[in-house]
Amino acid sequence: MSKFNFPFIKETNELLNLRKQVRGFIISSLNNNEFTPSPDAWVFSADPNFSKKLGSKGWLGMSFPKEYGGHERTALERYVVTEELLSSGAPVAAHWIADRQSGSQILRYGNEKQKLSIIPRITAGECFFAIGMSEPDSGSDLASVKTKATKTKNGWKLDGRKIWSTGAHLAHYMIVLARTSPASDKNRHEGLSQFLVDLSLPNVKITGIPDMTGQKHFNETLFDNVELSDDTLLGEEGKGWKQVVGELALERSGPERFLSHFTLLDSFINEFRNSLLYSGSKIVGKLISEIQTLRRMSFSVASMLQNGESPETQAAFVKELGNKFEKMMIETLREFSNIIPLYEWPNQLQNLFEDATLRIPSNSLRGGTTEIMKGIIARQLGLR
Amino acid sequence: MIEELEIILETASKILQKHVNHGLRQNIISENTDILNLWNDIEQNGLPKISVKEKFGGYEIPFFSILPLIKIINNYGTPLPLSETILSNYILSESDINPPNGVVTFATDTKNIKIEKNIISGDILSVPYLNLSKNLLIIHEFKNVKQAILIDEINGEIILKKNFLAEPRYDIKVTNLNIAEIKPVKNNIDFNFLGAILRSTQMIGAMEKVLDLSINYCSERKQFGRALSKFQAIQHQIADMAVELSASSAALSAITDLDLRDKNYNDIAISKIRAGAAAGKLIAISHQVHGAIGFTKEYELSYFTKNLNSWRNDFGNEAFWEDFLGKRFLENNNKNLWEYLT
Repeated sequence: MSKFNFPFIKETNELLNLRKQVRGFIISSLNNNEFTPSPDAWVFSADPNFSKKLGSKGWLGMSFPKEYGGHERTALERYVVTEELLSSGAPVAAHWIADRQSGSQILRYGNEKQKLSIIPRITAGECFFAIGMSEPDSGSDLASVKTKATKTKNGWKLDGRKIWSTGAHLAHYMIVLARTSPASDKNRHEGLSQFLVDLSLPNVKITGIPDMTGQKHFNETLFDNVELSDDTLLGEEGKGWKQVVGELALERSGPERFLSHFTLLDSFINEFRNSLLYSGSKIVGKLISEIQTLRRMSFSVASMLQNGESPETQAAFVKELGNKFEKMMIETLREFSNIIPLYEWPNQLQNLFEDATLRIPSNSLRGGTTEIMKGIIARQLGLR
Repeated sequence: MIEELEIILETASKILQKHVNHGLRQNIISENTDILNLWNDIEQNGLPKISVKEKFGGYEIPFFSILPLIKIINNYGTPLPLSETILSNYILSESDINPPNGVVTFATDTKNIKIEKNIISGDILSVPYLNLSKNLLIIHEFKNVKQAILIDEINGEIILKKNFLAEPRYDIKVTNLNIAEIKPVKNNIDFNFLGAILRSTQMIGAMEKVLDLSINYCSERKQFGRALSKFQAIQHQIADMAVELSASSAALSAITDLDLRDKNYNDIAISKIRAGAAAGKLIAISHQVHGAIGFTKEYELSYFTKNLNSWRNDFGNEAFWEDFLGKRFLENNNKNLWEYLT
């Protein structure tokens, strides 16, 4: 009961070769000044052109079936590609959600028309998604969503508000969790459904919300009597809860949960390599040991996904540990400024560090809070 | 071999289930017939020689493959140096020394060792279970070669006996003691690394027990009219324990696949760092959620937490291995961090 295993998965030579290919591509993009490495790039740094390039390389929708434009490669291959992109701080925010979760969700629950019209565009890096879960009054308590979809003659009418929708201003679609019938007294999880909503439809209003760093990636998305056709329902009416839980497993276990600020660590070590050798080898060792452990766990979850398992709990482990690691890493770097004061750090490194410091509170909020992760784990341990 | 190992694991569980209880742990002396009976059962089933070469009467299962057995032994809280004996016998056998019967303990550390012909003198430190053992393995560099030294009639002046640990530990000063056998250790055997793997694995076995004890206790114990496990503050603490434990297991899982000839010591360092750090957290949290009962000798939690405390310090603590790992990357590599990690 109390054991959650993360079986060791060895990286094969094929995977190493793929890694080298992606790395080569990133290096040449950097050499051509096509992007500037940025922290938290999968949230903040969107470049549709870069996404399109990745699509043409075959590195989006990697595990999707060929009949929908996918490449039928493994979840482990996708893992390797995402690791390389994240560790270099490449501008992947535009396609990130579509490639990570929305595409898989449509393939799993969507009808043929939905799959044929959307999946090939995701794979090409031309169709982006936002997440439609949180609402002004529903954060961690997702089952309390009030956005409502009502049956009409030709389909559905959508009414409500989604919030914290990262990238909605760039996205083409949002998978919206909405109530289609009232919750029963016994089960709040009943009566929810997922909809595939085209964000260019009339009466959809997207308003940016600057976050505390001053950047705009958050949005509020208002659905004011939006007319939806019948085939916008994703999956089964009333089964939205079960579907959304599966979607969250895809969202939580990936390397973005511990590599969001890797560019900072990398630049820090390159800059202070010699000083660290004299006075900081211990802290470097500690960080290495934690990253490698997390990589092993996350890679192991990728292999579970590949085998068709449902590692929702394991995903919560990775997210919880990854969030803690990132916070610890920034604290560790901060303490190092005792040895070399911050004002003597090169400007670019100072900026990265300050950015990371500002952004880090969000890492244990997005994708489910620490409290939710611990709740999931406690439930699996039989405590709830 | 996998089938053979599975049968051995099942046998070991049965033996330990039958013999080990908390009363036994409180009377770890060689005169205790229950201790003797347990050892006899263990020995009759060949467990001490599981990784010993067939020509010496062992099962010859590689040491890295038998870590699940080490986990089980320590999950049961077996109050005998079976894990130590398995490692000692493996090193002896790999050094072409026929391992003796009975308990074979080892010196985790030594000081001022002098060897002349077949005579040894010096300080042998932090030896677990010396009270149950005549046989002792020491690894020491002699004539520029690392040697496996077997002593089969140990005696000397006990300079310090550590009683605060769950298992008895001794520091002993030996003078002109006979060496039973001395042979060079095979190249790819590094006692400190093997010891670190052993202790990491033992810690994980013990931590699984500590987590189970905490879950069970909090589910049964009621305060303020409900089980402790129904309090969110308690649930979150226990979830933290599970996360730490899983991370340690994941870190160790790479080792079963490891070939020491690759000199891939990073994985070993990471295992010891991760298990040691997790042990610190599990010790603190498990005692916190148990309240006063966990602080008593009659309740079994402390047996495990005391062992965790000593194992996390044996063969290098977290700081030692973090320094090792950091230096290894910073000194010997021109690669950037990501290239190094991948």
